[in-house]
Amino acid sequence: MKRSKIYKALVVFILTIFLSGCWDIKDVNKRSIPLVMGISKEGDKNFELTLQIPIPKSENQVSRTVTERSGSIAGALGKIQTNSENAMDYSQIQLIVIQKNLARNEQEFKNLIKFLMGSEEIPSRALVAITSENVKNVLSNINDKLGVHASAIYDYFYKGSVWSPELFSTPIWAVYRSLFLSTKDIAIPSVRSGKDTVLVFEGSYIFKRGKLTDRISPEETQLINMFNNKKIKGKIETLGFASVVITDNSISSEVSLKNDIAHISSTLDLEIHVLEKEDGVTNKQIEKKLEKVNKERFYTLLSKTQKNNTDIFGFGQQFQNVIPYPKLYHWRNEYYPHLKMKFKVKAKIE
Amino acid sequence: MTYRIQLGVVFIILHLSFSYIIYPNLVYSLTRTAHWEVVMWQGFFQILLLLIFLRGLSYFPKNDVVEIFLKMGKGIAIFFLMPLAINLVGLIALNLRIHTDVITALFLPRTPYWSITILLFLISVYTAVNGFKTILRSSVFIFLIVLPLVLFNLFSSYVNIDIENVQTVWNSPPKFLLDINFFYVIGFSPFLVLGFVSSKVRLTLQQVFIVSISVFLFFLSVVYIPLFIFGPETVVTLNDPFLEAMDTIDISWFSFNRQTMFFGLSLIGLVIVANSVLLWVTGQIIQRLFMYGTQKKSYGMIVSSTCVLIVALLVPSQSMVKKYFLWSMGIQTYSTIVISISLFLYGIFKQREMKIHEKK
Repeated sequence: MKRSKIYKALVVFILTIFLSGCWDIKDVNKRSIPLVMGISKEGDKNFELTLQIPIPKSENQVSRTVTERSGSIAGALGKIQTNSENAMDYSQIQLIVIQKNLARNEQEFKNLIKFLMGSEEIPSRALVAITSENVKNVLSNINDKLGVHASAIYDYFYKGSVWSPELFSTPIWAVYRSLFLSTKDIAIPSVRSGKDTVLVFEGSYIFKRGKLTDRISPEETQLINMFNNKKIKGKIETLGFASVVITDNSISSEVSLKNDIAHISSTLDLEIHVLEKEDGVTNKQIEKKLEKVNKERFYTLLSKTQKNNTDIFGFGQQFQNVIPYPKLYHWRNEYYPHLKMKFKVKAKIE
Repeated sequence: MTYRIQLGVVFIILHLSFSYIIYPNLVYSLTRTAHWEVVMWQGFFQILLLLIFLRGLSYFPKNDVVEIFLKMGKGIAIFFLMPLAINLVGLIALNLRIHTDVITALFLPRTPYWSITILLFLISVYTAVNGFKTILRSSVFIFLIVLPLVLFNLFSSYVNIDIENVQTVWNSPPKFLLDINFFYVIGFSPFLVLGFVSSKVRLTLQQVFIVSISVFLFFLSVVYIPLFIFGPETVVTLNDPFLEAMDTIDISWFSFNRQTMFFGLSLIGLVIVANSVLLWVTGQIIQRLFMYGTQKKSYGMIVSSTCVLIVALLVPSQSMVKKYFLWSMGIQTYSTIVISISLFLYGIFKQREMKIHEKK
């Protein structure tokens, strides 16, 4: 009995070894936690990787940017790891800004996305954005602005849809998915550094299986959001003689296949609220005008994307149970360019 | 009754532990559309084998599997059960390694793998050495901790789900039945354990049915959540589809915004119980086949667990682990089929013998 007590005590003492915590762990105050990562590749073979790291010690949060060049992203990350004063913790990266000329190179872009998805440290829910400017300028732009938090770039994308209905976000995993999906393509938001604000939203680039095919405006981006049934409540439309705000939107579609040609008829219901209007303008006129604007916008975008076989609306998804799988695999090239679309907009003033 | 509930819980935990990793990959490799058919066929085969197995056991209401095989003769018992025991040693070892790798990837990237392996191993062995009753009791605790995490994982994945990523059609005819991978898939139902439990607490048919159905609903969710999130073309390119699916979930208003943490924690709980159950079975087989006279009951367990640790630490690379794991699953399927059917046949044979005996 006595002996077993001694043994037990011994076990308890041995357990104190574990008090030191996990293996090779660094406390939070000894880590650098970058929030935004910028990737670019100028003419030469080297990738340029920029990290924006907030410095939490001072009272008004500031940040700094660290840049490193290497033949591969992993190499650049490793170099930063070696040269930084603290342990780098990439697990909190929230946004990855990619320079346009890198995104334009299909093979490089695919490899990049595959790397980001496969990386165990970088979370696959980090958002992706594309800029046509120098990435370094975009990331360091934040330091020149007065009263802006170190996490501003990240906050920019996480305002919430009600605060900025046009803006939308695309995480890495969705881009990765679009490299393989045969019935839906993806849009990645395009940003540049602003003069007064940290970032300026410029619409988005659309990608077909990792190939940059076109660029679309913020209004067109918003149309895609509506087709994906995202609420764009709060979006303000200027119609020349009146301004309205959209309070609710919903879309309903019916699909059919006739003679191997895909048909879709969709109805977009918009509920709007009139903010201002010129004298003598009737509600009917406003509704008509809004319907017309949206319709025109849609058909221009549709014919544009049909030309370069990029199903940005994801119409192919709706044919999952109509067209058998082996045929649907060729949706982009065989069905989408010949897709017949009936699009109706019904605007209603509350 | 409580025993039966505990046994049902162990049954569920065993299946959960095996199904999270590798299982989805295997199902995706079998077909591009209608994955539910694979799961359904697996369920069909499992219930069929389970019925045969339970029927076989019911001919010997007072004995467990080892005793029945010993009745046939020691040579036969060694011939049938030793392969099972050896395979179980391999299976536990590989299971340990696979989970170690996942834990390393999830939250301990800088910790050497052997330390995690040994930690998981020690807890499992300790539970197993304390006997089956301890396993049963601890399994209930772990189940109560893990179940909310598992359910939370399942339901929170709702934010990223797009049902239109998957075709819900029939696959006719089911070609995958002839695929070798389907043979491995059947191995993911380690129900032989039920036969090693003392006969007083055997599950009734109805209970087995309920537990099996809940397990298969879970299998379906493990297969379909990554499918709904990524689509069938993408999932085949991922290493751990379920893990990646959990990693995509971003609930900004929720204070714990890393779902993979929950996933990892539930994995640890599950693997500890699963391994201790399998270790206990292995220990039973070795103990009762070779060391029936000895007093200490845990010798068989110590022998088998030492082998487990050695194998787990020796397997060199992750791809090897996965390959060997599949082979081990194949052997498991094989021994499941052989043991169930031989038990059944021996039962019929014995019954006839008895009847002839009575007539005389």
